[in-house]
Amino acid sequence: MNGFEAFASDFLYACVSIALFILGLTFLLIVYRIIKGPTLPDRIVGLDLLVVVAIGLIATVGVGSSYTLYIDISLALGLVGFLATVAFARFILNRGQAKDFIIMQEIKDSEKQEEQK
Amino acid sequence: MNNTVFLMNLLLAAAWGAVTGSFTPLNLIFGFILSSIALFLIREQIAFRDYFQRGGKILILAGSFFKELVLSSWRVLMIVIKPKINLHPGIIAVPLSVSEDFEITLLANMVTLTPGTLSVDVSEDRKVLFVHCLNVPDPEETIDGIKNGFERQILEAFR
Amino acid sequence: MMSAVISILTGIMLIIGAIFAAGAALGINRLPDVYTRMHAASKAGTLGSGLMVLALGLYSQQWDDFMRAVATVCFFLLTAPVSAHLIARAAYVVGYKPCKETKLDELSVTKKSVEPETPQ
Repeated sequence: MNGFEAFASDFLYACVSIALFILGLTFLLIVYRIIKGPTLPDRIVGLDLLVVVAIGLIATVGVGSSYTLYIDISLALGLVGFLATVAFARFILNRGQAKDFIIMQEIKDSEKQEEQK
Repeated sequence: MNNTVFLMNLLLAAAWGAVTGSFTPLNLIFGFILSSIALFLIREQIAFRDYFQRGGKILILAGSFFKELVLSSWRVLMIVIKPKINLHPGIIAVPLSVSEDFEITLLANMVTLTPGTLSVDVSEDRKVLFVHCLNVPDPEETIDGIKNGFERQILEAFR
Repeated sequence: MMSAVISILTGIMLIIGAIFAAGAALGINRLPDVYTRMHAASKAGTLGSGLMVLALGLYSQQWDDFMRAVATVCFFLLTAPVSAHLIARAAYVVGYKPCKETKLDELSVTKKSVEPETPQ
């Protein structure tokens, strides 16, 4: 009985460590996509996923420190992340419909790359 | 009508008690006042009809939705892990038979979270939903899947 | 006993959630265009972080925290498709083309004349 409980707490500690490690690798992968682009929507999808994974990281840290207030923090981060994504989407829509030079250039470049494949 | 609103009010008060974590009478009364204010704020939208009789069907809808969510994440994971990605994505048009705004919203959200499909746009006259698919060997089959799956369940639950 | 079982369950949920999140990140790196990348980000990402928040709610072993975790997950399930849909629609309307492998595109027929010209 006592041994089982000791095993459980060890197991949880190991799981938190492994999850933190995987999440660290995940952040690196997402940051690679954000830097590489190639287009603005790609970067925004990356940022959106970054917020989502950060929420998971906060929850994991909450389990590691057994501090349940982290639930509220992750909820607040989710709200902010959603609003940020909506704002980014509106930004693309507005600038694209106003024929923004940079966005039009990006579309042309991506079409060229598609044809080269 | 009045009964359902009152029941809703009580349920919301109980939910308030659960969320704040104390079931003392004072807190429950506070939750009751708070939920009646909330219900007063949405009084225009209250068209509760007979939701409580359809509760079972709504629960079935929620259950199948969660199953599909897990399945779809699993499928995306499998596609991503494979060493060679061989996909044929496409955008297909799904004719809608649901007509009310919140039903279309619900359907679009569910379509986005189910295997291999993501809703891109709704036509101006709200008759066609444009869906981006990860893999379309056969568009007809995908359209059939959406129409006979979620759309019919939504129609059964809310009509 | 009970708390030991809950600890083990929490650990397993954390690992599964982390694996789904990693799958989503791998997906946005390997899939060919914005639209397919959005599939990976909106589905696997949501499920991954949702599982982790649920694990924290379960671990706290208190009703109020668990209810708040469930509310948080419901909130994610409601907002993730909306943001994916908004990005997809914005990208399509502005004119980012789907990748070459895309077999059919029924939206292109209707969307050609819709793009409004804004006065400069």
